[in-house]
Amino acid sequence: MSDSPYIITVLLAMALVTFALRALPFLAAQWLGRHPWVARLGRFLPLAIMTLLLLHAMHGASSEHAAGPWPELAAVAVVVLLQLKSRNPLLSILAGTGLYVLIRNFGLF
Amino acid sequence: MTLPEQPEASRLSILALTTPVAMGYVPLGSVFGFLFVQAGAEWWLAVLASLCVYAGAAQFMMIPMLAAGLPVGAIALATLIVNLRHVFYGLSLPERMPNQRLLRWYLIFALTDETYSLLTSLPKTVGHRQMAGIALLNQGWWLLGTLLGALIGASAKLPLAGLDFALAALFAVLTVEQWRARRDAFPIWVALLAYGIAQLLAPQQALLIAIVLSILVGLWRKPASAELSGEAKP
Repeated sequence: MSDSPYIITVLLAMALVTFALRALPFLAAQWLGRHPWVARLGRFLPLAIMTLLLLHAMHGASSEHAAGPWPELAAVAVVVLLQLKSRNPLLSILAGTGLYVLIRNFGLF
Repeated sequence: MTLPEQPEASRLSILALTTPVAMGYVPLGSVFGFLFVQAGAEWWLAVLASLCVYAGAAQFMMIPMLAAGLPVGAIALATLIVNLRHVFYGLSLPERMPNQRLLRWYLIFALTDETYSLLTSLPKTVGHRQMAGIALLNQGWWLLGTLLGALIGASAKLPLAGLDFALAALFAVLTVEQWRARRDAFPIWVALLAYGIAQLLAPQQALLIAIVLSILVGLWRKPASAELSGEAKP
């Protein structure tokens, strides 16, 4: 993997593909105007996708160890409860991540 | 999010908002930089990747593919599949995007999972410059991590396992805030079901399949009430 021109070509191709995917809905929005289903998705999608990203991150984390999904579930429960009560994102994230790091490194499960 | 609306507090609040992203991006970025350099590439190519591709999963995916010397077309196709979900991110954002060209195109370019989550949960009072500032800071964290990992090399190993869980915690916070904005738990149940089905169908592409399933449900479902449909056009 020391062939720099090859790597640069690959990086440019990947950059192009990624940018095209990210730009497509914005270009399409100009062509289509405002369809009612875009507004409908705009209300539905953010919470659905956020939940999916959360599930996917939890799944990814739990596949790095053999203790099952319990450390992830415990840490996320702490984050959700703290966030519901305190509305302080930094506090919720630090507490949840701190608990998770403790569990993972000092074997609470 | 608890976001101060006074302009003088905005710089601080942008930094605070991106802090959890930094806690995920700096360690993850350094792992990427480390692995990329370990595979035999120059350190500045790792930085170039984070500068112009800027898509975490695809960047990790390409390391073994580059090492195997796969054709450019094959790697581009794999990137297309891994990043397909980004097509759907823009759907909920167009009305909030800045008209000013440079800001607009940079925001579109920098629309990663995490930046998307932050931007969609911001209050409407947040200006376009602040949105671009958040996106720029996030890419800055990713670049910083990449640079550290590429330069430090062997010593870039994470001291503690699980620090990158900050990203999962960030998604949990944003899920709570998205729910608080509408008090409608239906998308959560749809997402849980869709992810379960997707894991059964194809674990490798679970996220993409689950997003497509959720979109189908979201298209099919009529707005819950007149109040909600009025909210869509501010």
